[in-house]
Parts: sequence; structure tokens; C-alpha cells
Amino acid sequence: MRVLIAMVRDRFDIVIVGAGPAGCTAAYLLAKAGFSVLLVDRGRGAGSKLLWGGKAYAQPLRDIWPELDREAPIHRWVSRDRFSFVWGDRVLTLEYKLGRKVAFTVYLPELVSWMARKAESVGATFIDEVVIDEIIVRDGVVYGVRSGNDIIRANVVVDAEGINRMLLEKLGLASKPNPYSLSLGVKEVLSLDSKLIEERFNLDKGEGLAWLVAGDITKGIPGGGFIYTMRDSISIGLVLSIGHAADMAEKGLLKEHVSSLVESFRLHPYFRVYWREADIIEYGGRMAIEGGLSYMPKKLYTNGLLVVGDAAGLLVNTGYTIRGVDTAVTSARLAAETIVEAHNKGGFTEDNLRAYEEKIKRSYIYKELVEHRGIEDVFRDQFFFTKFPALATRIGAKLFESDYEEPSMLRALLDSAREEDISILRIIYKLGRVARKL
Amino acid sequence: MSQQSRLKQLKLEELLQRDVWDVDEDRHIEVLNQEGLPIKALIILCPMGCYSMAGDKLLMSYEGCVECGTCRVLSSPDKIRWSYPRSGRGIQYRYT
Ligand SMILES: Cc1cc2nc3c(=O)[nH]c(=O)nc-3n(C[C@H](O)[C@H](O)[C@H](O)COP(=O)(O)OP(=O)(O)OC[C@H]3O[C@@H](n4cnc5c(N)ncnc54)[C@H](O)[C@@H]3O)c2cc1C
Ligand code: SF4
Repeated sequence: MRVLIAMVRDRFDIVIVGAGPAGCTAAYLLAKAGFSVLLVDRGRGAGSKLLWGGKAYAQPLRDIWPELDREAPIHRWVSRDRFSFVWGDRVLTLEYKLGRKVAFTVYLPELVSWMARKAESVGATFIDEVVIDEIIVRDGVVYGVRSGNDIIRANVVVDAEGINRMLLEKLGLASKPNPYSLSLGVKEVLSLDSKLIEERFNLDKGEGLAWLVAGDITKGIPGGGFIYTMRDSISIGLVLSIGHAADMAEKGLLKEHVSSLVESFRLHPYFRVYWREADIIEYGGRMAIEGGLSYMPKKLYTNGLLVVGDAAGLLVNTGYTIRGVDTAVTSARLAAETIVEAHNKGGFTEDNLRAYEEKIKRSYIYKELVEHRGIEDVFRDQFFFTKFPALATRIGAKLFESDYEEPSMLRALLDSAREEDISILRIIYKLGRVARKL
Repeated sequence: MSQQSRLKQLKLEELLQRDVWDVDEDRHIEVLNQEGLPIKALIILCPMGCYSMAGDKLLMSYEGCVECGTCRVLSSPDKIRWSYPRSGRGIQYRYT
């Protein structure tokens, strides 16, 4: 602990646990609104524990920091989005070229450090290297937080602890995590010269690519792969359903260590040409919410407490994008608004804080969560991460890998379906189901 | 490193050499009772390979842990004691 908490001061209007995107946003907005704010993180500096994929949506961040485009440590503006089905060596790829600056790639620790500095610049106090052990509640009202023997009092605590909800579970506000609601992300950072990146991915200077991959790269575990171009590196990784992967491992259906799945992805003949001379400069893992409403706690507020970001289960996973950072930032903005309003109404009672949940329910986050509710089930459905990529790539093979005769599209579809033992009606039914969820 | 060697599958031990830790003297994760734990799942899914078997005994080496929480999700507090390293110790991601 670099600074003893007691040396700072022992009481704040607001204590925020966790300096991720959610916590930093809350700290910035609340300090700017004139409250005394303490932002605490267990890591060394903000974001030092935050491994992620790589693509952040800009507009929700610009809503708070209009200077984002100019000042934030952005690596590349995403100008191309790709999606691939992989089956063995066969790959079918779709690419979309974007027309404006919607999302950017960035190292999350860098982005979050920038946000934490923003919070400090408007008067928030940031303390790192401190683990909060407990959110203290007395007589049904939040009293403060405890780290070891130190207690810091607060009128409001904002829980921004992220996906691993040790504090909320202790309070009884979240139940033990369900492994089927969570994925494990395993990732490598590959260093590669920025010019080479631009050449290989057909990018102009400063432009980037986001690429999601479905198919047998996950060895039958529900999930998928990602590839993001950073300034002079490429992030690649797999996101795997923990519950399903664990079942498969226990049944002996999965024998390889997860790192070896990521290595096979890196060395896949279709993908490795992009980074063949790259060195691996980092490797690691972190959990991600699978998506939908299943990780949301029953309540996002109590007397003197608000829950934001991943801790509140607010991550949108549509299968073609993961949005956890902009949703965390937006939830924190709504929490900050609610706190200011509650202050004006005379106190941080449950009644005055209830508005937060209503704001969430009216926001784009909740609409997205409800809209894509059940998408986890779709992507967990064997059909989509095994049968469908197999079928799509087989059709590709029929259309493009013929030595003599060229079959019609329809013929290719019918023959492939027969060979994969899938009925056309089932394909239509399943596609209809996805289309409704996407 | 030659291109040839870059296109070779790396072992987990080699991947771990890419990372930086400030290891806490106190272990933040400890197996209390391995009875009923999904041992194969822990060994295969812990991304850093912290779990391994020595004969019949499940070993946990906390030094390479990245504090992801996967083993916590796959167990219960009476079987695995799980906490964070103190004082900013543990994994120090430099890029991601
Ligand atoms: C593999 C992977 C890929 C992803 N890819 C993307 C992507 O491309 N785009 C996207 O938008 N999102 C992505 N996400 C999701 C995104 O990273 C999260 O949704 C987002 O970081 C959530 O922000 P948060 O502030 O709520 O929580 P976190 O970012 O988890 O921050 C919580 C902070 O609290 C601290 N903390 C926790 N407990 C304590 C405690 N007791 N005491 C003190 N400090 C504590 C932690 O150290 C951490 O810094 C990805 C996630 C993963 C795992
Ligand atoms: S927290 Fe993650 S990295 Fe650490 S031992 Fe558990 S599974 Fe392994």
C-alpha cells in the first residue's frame, strides 16, 4: 500500500471501488459535480489487471469526454469489421467497411489510466494497491468500506468491482457466480511493425481491423475467437464458456489445455500469414460475461450503494460484438446523475437511488440486453458453433474448390446439408431464431 | 528468433515467460479440500496452469496466477480459499 488510507482522510462523500472504465467514469463525473470522491483499485495503477479484447465504442465515451478523439490513447480507428467461419483448414470470411469513426482499438490499461487521470484532474483522489475487503452496512445503510483494519466512511459507495463480485456476494446482493453465465478469455499480444499491419490488413495509416471468428477453433466449446489490430501489435484470443468447457473437461471430451487452443488459433494456416514474424509479448486470461440479462443482480441499488459496469452484469454480447466498456461507462454516467439528483432531493436513500435502475432500463444498454436476450443460448447451441461453420465452409468448398464442374449455389447448399446430415428446414428454422436475436 | 521457430506451438511454460508478476509472499489462493472439485477442469481451464496433480494430490501454485477468478467460479469457499494479492502484487499486465 503506497499511501496509508488513513493518511489521506477518513471520510468522503463518495467512495468508488474499482478503477475500471465504470469506476473511473463515476469518479470523474462525481468529482466534477463537486463531491469529495475516493477511487480505489487493488492494482498497481489503474487498469493493470484488465486484460480484454481490444475494441471500444466511442460515442458513449465522447458523451463524457468530448476531447476523446484528440486526447485518449487510441491505437487505431476501426475501419474494417470481419467475421469468419472456420472448419479445419476451410474458412469463409465476410468483411464490412465502415464509413465513420465508430469504434477504436486500445490497450484497456492505457485507456483506463487516461480516464483515472481525468478523474484526478477534476479533484478525485485515486489510491491504488488497496484491496477493499468489505462494503460496510450498518442498520441497513451503507457506512463505508474496509481494507484490512482501515475503515473509510462514505455517504455513497459505488461498486465498480467488475465481474468478480466478491463484495456484492458478501453483501448478499449477488449470488455465487454461475459458470454458464461466464466465459474465460485467453489472449496473446503479438508484436508487429505498424506498417506491416497496415499492409497485411489493407488499412490506411491509423486505421484498424476487428475480426471475430466462429468454428472449430474452440474445439467444440461454445465461444469464439477475436483478432484486433493495435498500433504495433495484434491481439488474438479465444472466449470460452466456462460451464461448458468444465463439463467437457470432466467428461474427458476436452484434453488440451486452453493455452494450446490459443496457440493452435495463432498457428492456423489461414490466420498465421498475417503475423508470421510476430513475437508473443504477453499472454493471459480474464473472465467475461456471456451476455444477456443472466448476470444482472436482482437490485442495482440499496441505501447508499449503486452497482455499475460488469458488477451490474451490463455487458452486451451479440455474437458479432462485445460491448462491455461503453456500457460500463454509460451505467456509471447514469449512476452519477442519480447521485446528484438524490443529493438535491436530500439524501442517498434507497428511494432516491431507485431512479438509477429506471435510467438503466430506459437506456440503450438495457434495450440491447433485452433485444439480444437468449443470444447466449443461440451461440451455445451446438448448431451454431459446430454445425453451421461446418456447413458454411463446406458450401464454400463446393463452390470454390471444384476441379471441373461448378455447382449452382442451391446445389452446393443441398449437397452440403446432406453431407453434414442437416435438414434444410432445420437450417431455416435456426437462422430465423438467430435473426430474431441479433 | 527465426520465422521457423515463431511458427512453432509454444508450451505454456514458454508463454508464461512473456509475463511479469510481483509475487506476493502470502499465497492468495489455497486448496482447502480437493474432494468433489472438478479437478480436470481446473487443470485444463486455469489459463496459467496453476493447478496440477502430484500423485493423488491437487497442487496449486499461486505464483503464475492472473487473478481471473475461473477457479473460484468452479469451486466453493470451503474447497478453495480465494482472495486477491495485497499491495498491488500479482500479475502486472503491460499491454493487453
Ligand atoms: C477477453 C475479454 C475481451 C473483451 N473484449 C472487449 C471488447 O473488445 N470491447 C469491450 O467493450 N469490452 C470487452 N470486454 C469486456 C470489458 O473488458 C468489461 O466489460 C469492462 O472492463 C468492464 O468494466 P468495469 O469498470 O465494470 O469493470 P473492470 O474493468 O473489471 O474493473 C474493475 C476494477 O476493480 C478492481 N477491483 C475489483 N475488486 C476490487 C476490490 N475488492 N478492491 C479494490 N479494487 C478492486 C479491479 O482491479 C479492476 O481494476 C472484454 C472482456 C474480456 C475478459
Ligand atoms: S484465478 Fe485464474 S489464473 Fe488464478 S489460479 Fe484461478 S484460474 Fe488460475
